[in-house]
Amino acid sequence: MNMPTETDNTATVAACMPDRAGDSPLREVSLFLSDYAAWLLGSGATCIRLERNVDRMADAWGCKVVMTILPRHIHLTVSSPDQSESYTYITATGCYGISFDINTGLSRLSWEVADGRISFNEARRRFADITATPPESPALVLLLASLANASFCRLFGGDWAAMAVVFIATAAGLYMKQLMLGRKADLRVVFMTCAFVSAVLGAGAGLFGLGDTPEIAVGTSVLYLVPGIPFLNSFSDLLAGHYICSFSRFLHAVILTCCLSAGLCAGLLTMNLGMF
Amino acid sequence: MLIEYLQDALFAAVAAIGFAAISNPPRRAYLFCALIAAIGHSTRFLMMHQQVFGLHIVLATTAASLLVGLLAVVLSPVAKMPAETCLFPSLLPMIPGIYAYKTFGGLVMCMYRGSEGEFSHYFYLFASNGLTCLFILIGMVTGATIPIFMLKRISFQATR
Repeated sequence: MNMPTETDNTATVAACMPDRAGDSPLREVSLFLSDYAAWLLGSGATCIRLERNVDRMADAWGCKVVMTILPRHIHLTVSSPDQSESYTYITATGCYGISFDINTGLSRLSWEVADGRISFNEARRRFADITATPPESPALVLLLASLANASFCRLFGGDWAAMAVVFIATAAGLYMKQLMLGRKADLRVVFMTCAFVSAVLGAGAGLFGLGDTPEIAVGTSVLYLVPGIPFLNSFSDLLAGHYICSFSRFLHAVILTCCLSAGLCAGLLTMNLGMF
Repeated sequence: MLIEYLQDALFAAVAAIGFAAISNPPRRAYLFCALIAAIGHSTRFLMMHQQVFGLHIVLATTAASLLVGLLAVVLSPVAKMPAETCLFPSLLPMIPGIYAYKTFGGLVMCMYRGSEGEFSHYFYLFASNGLTCLFILIGMVTGATIPIFMLKRISFQATR
């Protein structure tokens, strides 16, 4: 079989695929697209981006794709243009965590395929490389997120003392989050525990009379846990008409916010601190 | 006012970089997130300032989010990244965290305070902060997401 040339962007499935005894080219494409879609959804992409990226690659390989995007699964059917052959796969998304780095790499890969710049085998190699991208250094995330939350405190009118307290509370809470997630603890328990730790430390500003805005310190100390991206993704899915995914993402974010609030409340009760 | 304005832009930029770090973006995204967040948040600051427009926080947030959304879409082909990579972290500094905290506080205090007067007071705090928080969130997500859908051609070809 022939591999597609640099300028051949209307290649058929068969032309894209290597000869492998027993393997149907369409089956290989189906498996690839299924894995691709699961990774893209798992890395926090919106449904509209997922559909467009997968459709663009399927068009380039001359096959038809129909996909159901479920909250934690991708149900995908790939068929040949004359519908004589088709494959259906259901793939679980897994819990990779949000990664815009992987999202960006996979989106770029879809255009490289669509523009005929890479062959199917090259696309598979690139896919393996992209999905092996390591996450950002935990120490750097800890530093940047703590600075971010301290800055957030300032934006809400907190003074320098409150910022310092929020920095420490965030660093401690986020470090605990990294430790607990590393040990595969339940996400809801992680959110409650981290909010509790950060709230207790954030209450330090009021306890030791540091600065004039202790209430802003304690209120801001847990905000690094707010699941902002799932909320934003859910709205994007709502506009795109993907109501099941939208509702699922919204509910997930609401549950995490409730866990955060429970941890905050427990922290304030422990410190015998009123909320107003 | 100039110092306050610059401080607002600076702290919004630092906040955007930190919140971006949590979502594992490509390294070059930090610069774009910081730039967009600084412009967006400082624009909201100006719009809310009594000496400039004196707008309500909901309207100011909606307008600033629209600007953030437009900037993210326009800059995404330059950054060679999906618009969401720059947009979402840049938007997070505008999340109404203190309103959410006060809403939750009001709710908890409603349960703890028995007398009708105290309950009414805390229920008022819960409702007023909750509604403000809700409308800010609606304005934020609407303003920021609309440019992605209106400029689909740019938004979805940024990584080409």
